[in-house]
Amino acid sequence: MTDTRWVGRSYETAPFQVTEKSIRDYMAAVGDLRDDGDLVAPPTYAMVYGFDAFWQLWTDQEVALDVAHLVHGEQRFSFQRPVRPGDRIRTTGRLTAINTRGDMELVTFELKAVDERDQPVSDGTALFIIRKP
Amino acid sequence: MKTMSSLDFEHLSPGQALPSLAKHVTVEQIRQYAEASGDRNPIHLDETFARSAGLPGVIAHGMLTMAFANQMVTDWLGDRSLLRRLQGRFAGMVVPGDDVTCSGTVASKDEATRRIVINLVVTNQRGEKVFNKGVAEAEFPPQRSTNHAA
Repeated sequence: MTDTRWVGRSYETAPFQVTEKSIRDYMAAVGDLRDDGDLVAPPTYAMVYGFDAFWQLWTDQEVALDVAHLVHGEQRFSFQRPVRPGDRIRTTGRLTAINTRGDMELVTFELKAVDERDQPVSDGTALFIIRKP
Repeated sequence: MKTMSSLDFEHLSPGQALPSLAKHVTVEQIRQYAEASGDRNPIHLDETFARSAGLPGVIAHGMLTMAFANQMVTDWLGDRSLLRRLQGRFAGMVVPGDDVTCSGTVASKDEATRRIVINLVVTNQRGEKVFNKGVAEAEFPPQRSTNHAA
């Protein structure tokens, strides 16, 4: 069981430089290849520029989530503006709740992404489910 | 040249189904997704590790399934920048070899905000839901004047 005293801990990514290659690699990986002319990242690319916040949480030795038994249970995103090559995006992830349901632990992680002018890009909530081994 | 979406907000109505999107998931695609997203959690890449974690083997990232649902919606919208919200629950595991199908239906339409809400679900080849309680919301640009002005 994760110690609930870590609720409130937050993690910030370094500025993520969005490149055409990074967007196109993501589009190729998910098979979303439609070309609009004006290259706009698929909205779920939020998981790419924000991923390091997830990684910092998962590898935080003090919080020590049981990541081997962790799966992504739910995800919500809101998008304030489209993302294009040249954007520099910082994402802050905040551990906002740790609950138990039966023999599962539910970890809530809230995300907020902003651009280089601190204007909102997207926000989200991830729910992780940790199954008891 | 940017092609205009054939979608016309004025002609959308609740109950309307989106064209479904089918995807065949492979080990190669999961690896490619891990590289492109940075999420190299071994439950997605290492068969032995995945089994030791109590899984049937490697599983696809939930966010890959969500990306499929995203694509179904934005292909239909014809413009990735219209999506305002996307959410859902990863209800079941997706494993290599699965054939998943995304479906969606317009749930509601708000004339004032020019927004529509779409309900989404992704099922596998056995009809099991792997992504449910899916919701997308899109906002259409203001209606252009039709130049009747004097």
